[in-house]
Amino acid sequence: MSYNFQNLQVLLVEDNKPMLNLIKTVLLSFGVGNVITSLNGEDGFREFCLFNPDLVITDWMMSPGNGLELTHSIRNHPKSPNKFAPIILMTGFSEKRRVLNARDKGITEFIVKPFNARDLYRRMHKIIESPRDFVEAPEYFGPDRRRKRKDEYTGENRRITDKDKVSQINITEIDLI
Amino acid sequence: MDIKHYNQKPKRNAKFIKAPNLIKAKVGIGGLSDAIIDRAQKLLESQTEDFRPLGEIYLKQMKAGIDKATALGKPTDSEEMIALILFPCVQLKANGGMFNYPLVTRIAERFVQFMEVVDRLDNETLEIATAFYTTIKIVLASQIKGDGGEQGEALVNELNNACMRYFDKHKDNLHPRER
Repeated sequence: MSYNFQNLQVLLVEDNKPMLNLIKTVLLSFGVGNVITSLNGEDGFREFCLFNPDLVITDWMMSPGNGLELTHSIRNHPKSPNKFAPIILMTGFSEKRRVLNARDKGITEFIVKPFNARDLYRRMHKIIESPRDFVEAPEYFGPDRRRKRKDEYTGENRRITDKDKVSQINITEIDLI
Repeated sequence: MDIKHYNQKPKRNAKFIKAPNLIKAKVGIGGLSDAIIDRAQKLLESQTEDFRPLGEIYLKQMKAGIDKATALGKPTDSEEMIALILFPCVQLKANGGMFNYPLVTRIAERFVQFMEVVDRLDNETLEIATAFYTTIKIVLASQIKGDGGEQGEALVNELNNACMRYFDKHKDNLHPRER
């Protein structure tokens, strides 16, 4: 049993045509049934409204309308058909403050160029298997920006309320719980 | 009576929403096999697009940025001016490796890191920018695909050392967020 991407519709927004064709080729070889392409963020948003794709993969630096502006429109514009659409942002930047800036604009995943086929697949897999809750706040709408989960802690459980610990504590301690 | 604490606004006003996982419903389970991913990777590696015309465009933009900053005749910390040089180099870094020029990516990446931490452009930073520009231009003109071997390694080290020497001499030019 494996994924069937045949019914998947992906909007790919990239102003560099050779790169656009290259990524489209990769997506098609993954079996994606429909790849809609656009050369900038403004056109990209028009296509998004028209086709309501399942996934958006966009470059950052484009004009008119860069990848973050496109993300903002998808998340907040009244005409957006799906404010929850997963968005993968592709960029050459990898500096932390730039990544955080992109995260704060509501992107779902970030992929640094140059990347390989497996890198792209990993981002798609994450979106499919580990979707994040959305947060609606006065100054932000987008995927939950906190990545770390409570169950990621691998250290010793030392609270007396922890299941294993309860069996080891004495009656006085139980009285205190 | 101090009622400030009692009257303060709620600190968190966020609503959590479980978004529908429409993709999962469409694609099913099981992931993609390694064979499919490897085939996609082979397609990436075997593409024959000539990167040089595109690389030349970015190099031209980078040079225009360097010339504009040089023409000012004085140091500048203008973010726009830095972006004129930095952004085309980010494009070189991003695209080189995707089109069989990983050495372009490696060299451009060093320069991007340098530019991300400098506070202002002065004569010496512009000299370093020119050195990176010239080196990338040579790599493209000579069609050095792959990592460039020992020569490629030596080029990257030399440029890296130039950046290190600069910061040894000009610690004051680290952007405040990097200090």
